[in-house]
Formats: sequence, C-alpha cells, structure tokens
Amino acid sequence: MIDPIGFMISWLTIFGIYSILAITLNFESGTSGVTNFGKVFFYGLGAYTTAMLTVYLFLILNGIDVSKTPPYDIKGIIYLGELANKNPLLNMTLLLLSFMLAFMIAGITGYMLSYPIVRVGPAFVGFTLLSTGELFRIFLQHYDPAGGSRGLMSIPNPFAWVPDARTRELLFLLLVLGVLTLTYVTMHRLVNSPLGRTLRAVRDDEVAALCLGKDVPRLKATVLFIGSGFTGIAGSLLAYYMTSVNPDMFVPAVTFNVWAMIILGGMGNLRGALLGSAIFTFFDRALSFITPQLGVTIISPDYVRGFMVGFLIVAVLLYKPQGLLPEGRVETPAWEEQASFNKG
Amino acid sequence: MLPGYPFSVINFLLYTFFYLLFSIPLTLSYRTTRVINFAHANFITYGIYTAVFLNGILGNSSLFIATISAFLVAGIMAVANHVFVFKPLEKRGASMNLIMIASMGLWIMYNYVLYMIADIAHAMIGMNFISYGRITYKDVPELVVNGVSLSPTFTAGLLYTSAILLGLYLFLEKTILGKAVRAVSDNPLLSEISGIPRDNIVLLTWFICGGIAGLGGALWTSFSGTVTPTSGDAMILQVFTVSFIGGLVSLLRTGIGAVAIAFIENIGIAYLNSLFNVPTSFRPFLTFLTLLTILIVSPPLGAAGGLPYRFRSKKVKEK
Repeated sequence: MIDPIGFMISWLTIFGIYSILAITLNFESGTSGVTNFGKVFFYGLGAYTTAMLTVYLFLILNGIDVSKTPPYDIKGIIYLGELANKNPLLNMTLLLLSFMLAFMIAGITGYMLSYPIVRVGPAFVGFTLLSTGELFRIFLQHYDPAGGSRGLMSIPNPFAWVPDARTRELLFLLLVLGVLTLTYVTMHRLVNSPLGRTLRAVRDDEVAALCLGKDVPRLKATVLFIGSGFTGIAGSLLAYYMTSVNPDMFVPAVTFNVWAMIILGGMGNLRGALLGSAIFTFFDRALSFITPQLGVTIISPDYVRGFMVGFLIVAVLLYKPQGLLPEGRVETPAWEEQASFNKG
Repeated sequence: MLPGYPFSVINFLLYTFFYLLFSIPLTLSYRTTRVINFAHANFITYGIYTAVFLNGILGNSSLFIATISAFLVAGIMAVANHVFVFKPLEKRGASMNLIMIASMGLWIMYNYVLYMIADIAHAMIGMNFISYGRITYKDVPELVVNGVSLSPTFTAGLLYTSAILLGLYLFLEKTILGKAVRAVSDNPLLSEISGIPRDNIVLLTWFICGGIAGLGGALWTSFSGTVTPTSGDAMILQVFTVSFIGGLVSLLRTGIGAVAIAFIENIGIAYLNSLFNVPTSFRPFLTFLTLLTILIVSPPLGAAGGLPYRFRSKKVKEK
C-alpha cells in the first residue's frame, strides 16, 4: 500500500531542499545574529526567478510567441508539457542558468535589504524581513506575467527527457543532495573561518565588535548576500521539484518551520540544522501519507501540526535552549594540530 | 476637494482609533518589559474571537459586554505569556533575540489553538467560525452629524479610544502606580533598588497592554466585513510600523504614527488613486515604504538593541 522506496525518495528530496534553508538560516541567525524572519521571501524569489526564466525561455527558444500564448495560459501549459522532453541540452542549460540567476537575484536583494536594517535591533530586522515576505506574496498575487494567484504551472523538469519515472526522480534527488553538499561544505568553511569567528562576535555583542574595529554593517550585508543566495537556489530546486509555483506556497509558516528546525537541532550548529530538518520533514512526509487514512476528524491534523511547530519552539527554548546538538567550538588549525598531537 | 469625501475622512478617523488601540499597548509593553512581542497579533485576534464566540454561541449583542470580556481574555493571555514563557527565559538570562523567537513560537501556537477551538465549536454547534460576518451590536446608537451618518463603530471607537487614552495619561502621569510603571521602563534596575516591586508592575503592564489590544479587537468585529483567525495577523504590518515610528519608546510619537499611517492608508491612497490610478490594494506597500523610510531616515537608535550610532560618510570635512 505504501511504497517505501517512493517514500524515501520524496522524503530525501524534501529533506535536501529544507536542509539548505535550515543550514543557511543557521548561518544567518545562529552564527551571525541576523534574525531572518523573511526566509520565505528569498526562497520564493528563487523559485519565481527559476519558474519565470524557465517557462518563458523554454517557449521562446521553441519558437512560440509568448505575447500570444503566455505560459500561464492553458495553451502555454499544454505546449510546455509537450515540449518538455524533446531537448535534453536545453533543459540542462536552463537549469544552470536559473541556478545562477536565482543565486544572484536573491543574494543581491538580500544585500540591498540589509541597508535599512543594519542600524536597528533584532526586533526591527525580524519584522522588516517578515513583512517583506508578506508583501512579496501580495505582489505576486496581482502580478500577471507570473500568473497572478494561480501561479505558473508545468515547469519543465531538468530531467524530463529521462523516460523512466523512477530514474528521473533519483537523478533529481542526486542533484538536490549535490547542492546540499555544496551548501554544507561552503557554510562549514565559512563558519570555521576567521569570518565565522567575527560573525559570532557580532552576534554576541554588536557594540563590542564595533569597538574592536569590525565593520558590522558590511558583515551583516555579506551574511545576507551569501545566505539569501543559497536560499534562492533552494527555491529554484523547489520550483523544479513541484513543477509549479503559486503565491500560497510562500506563506510565513515556511519560515517558522525552518526556525523550528534550527532551534530543535541547535542554533549555531550546522549538523543540528540537518538533524532538525530531517526530523521535521520526516514527520511531514509521514503525516501526508497517514492523513488520508484518518478520514474526517474533528480537528484537522494540519492544525495540530502547526500547533506543534509553535509549541516545540517555545518548549525547546524553555527547557533545552542549546537544542539537540549544542554549538561546538570553532575548528581552527590549532585545534586540529592539538588533535593530531593527542593521537601521537 | 478630497476624493471619496466624506468616507475617506471617516475611515481615516476610524483607522486612527484602531491603530491607537492596537499600537499604544505594543509600545507600552515593549518599553516596560523589554520583550518584543510578536504574539501581540494574537491579543487582537483573541479579542476578536471572544466577541465572535459570545455572539455566535451565547447570542450576545452588547458591545460593552464583548469589549470587557475581550479585555479580560487578552489580558489574561498576556499575563500567562509572561509567567510561563518570558519570565523563565529572562531569569535564565536569555538574550533579546531568543525571547523574541519564543514570542514568535507563541504566536504560531495561539494561532493554531484558535483554529482548533473554531473546529471544535463547529463540530458542536455546526456554525462556521473560521469566517464570521460583521456583528451588529444593539447598545450603540447611530449618530447623524451635519447630515453625515456616523456608524455605531465610529461612536464606540471615539468613546473607547478617548477614554483609554485619557485613562492611560492620567494613570501614567498622575498616580503613584503609573509613576512606578514609568520608572520600571526608564531603568529596571534602579527602580528595583528604590523599592518598586518590578515583577508586579510588569504583570500589571502586560494585563493592561493585552487587554487594550483585545478590546480593540472586539471593536473591530463591528467594523470589519468578515473576521477570520488571521484578522489580527493581517494588521501586524501597520501596527508594528506605527510602534516603530514611536521608536518603541515614546507613546506620544506612537500616537502621531497612528495618525500618519491611517492618513497615508486612507486619504493618501485616495489621492494617488484619483490622480495616478494607483489601485487601492497598493495600501500595504505604502505602509511598507513608510517603514523603510523610517528605518533609513530616522532609525530608532539604540532601541531594541542595534547600533547606537548613525553612519556618516568616511570623509571628514577638514576645517
């Protein structure tokens, strides 16, 4: 009845995408103290960049007049479905192109958004980013070239030319895990570099870091650029995985989920982010398999799930504030030498 | 002549009342307790739903009863937040960031609790509470001034807002208790040394702040078209922007902010609409632009953490 391999593949894909979000959020908020409540904004920006770039270029390069049959139109959707598996090269080129563009657009937006918020405290930062995300959603609902509130559908999967569905899913999973590894390695290097140590200083006491001559505004802008860039790529992967985007996918609840993940896993610990996202996405997938079997219940399981997210954040902060995996020491060359010395 | 007169003016005044009722408690609670409370939206929503449940289940049609119960419910919520979450965190020496994140967790929790309650109420009574129409209250009359009929909400809003503002002013400026509240917000440590029971003062402040926001919520049910469990969240952008204009410190500036945002959102958009054909759904973007402008032009320095200095260009003018 339940297909275990299918379950594993779908879980790991979602896990990979959410892990990228959790790792970057951990870098921004756990390590550097930028309280990013607008994660979903950069995520949505990446997803929409990818979706628009892919569907428009796909139609244009196949010689279809987009002004007459726009991709959000029913005809455009049919064309997209028919043409998706014709040209592997085009699919792969568009994948690379949209990765680059999603990274740059989300990153640069993050960089620019850091300007109004560098002078003010975490409350203002969190709130400004949160409302940016909400306004982005409202904007998308009224923006016709992106399909308005229906969004864009039938985004060609980069591996649509592979005939077997299972192989296609596996290939995509490999792509997601590859991006996740890249993100993890980058963040690991950053966190354990001198930059990472400076960021921890900024997080713990902004004014003290300033007095020691650290350029706090510049550091925050850098953090938001890097973090948002990778978030944009996560959004790009989501768009390809879901093959459709619409404004309702990018509600603040996504941000809160990611926050719950890093708080459960441990703020400031990259492996904690992985653990947190593994736990959360596993329950999510399991719930989506179980829910249809429950039938109609008095209280919808979705509400219980949402409640648990909030409850977990509060409970972990109250009783185990360091999370499951506490923040470790910074891996400097000196520690490595010490370790090899101890080994003999 | 103003476009949309007199409705744009009436709406401007009405929204001023609501923003005052929602934002003043936010500023007051922040400056006294040093907790930036994202669960503030829940006080409004729970105020709204206290009125809705009273109307839907018990058939209440008195605005007075609705507002008083909303005040109590939201006030008790705020006190519970403090006792069970904020105070233990503060005792442990958690940073402001962590407390803020905890308040966000509370926000999500309360939201879904409300959905669950609405679900249970739906299963028991069979009424849809997830989206509830406007409530007509019988104990507020409709006034007609100069041929313009003022809705009951307007009368009630005017009464409640002026009563609460006057009451708060007298309380904070004239009574010993109010002076203690101000002392705690000015310097918590010093106030404790001079013998002010800080814990009790903070509890009292939470009760008042939660209560006023909840009361505003109950009033909202007689104005808004339909209410949903996200009605409070929908107003959070405006409410926080208004408080940020006040720098989360000054009640007076918060009041000015309420007037300014209500003006921009009603009369400003009416002008833009008639002159440049800007759609009225553009409203939140105007508020957001105001927020960004405030943050860039006159950031509340040092408030809620942050850097206590302004940036200057690196070139220093030589004399």
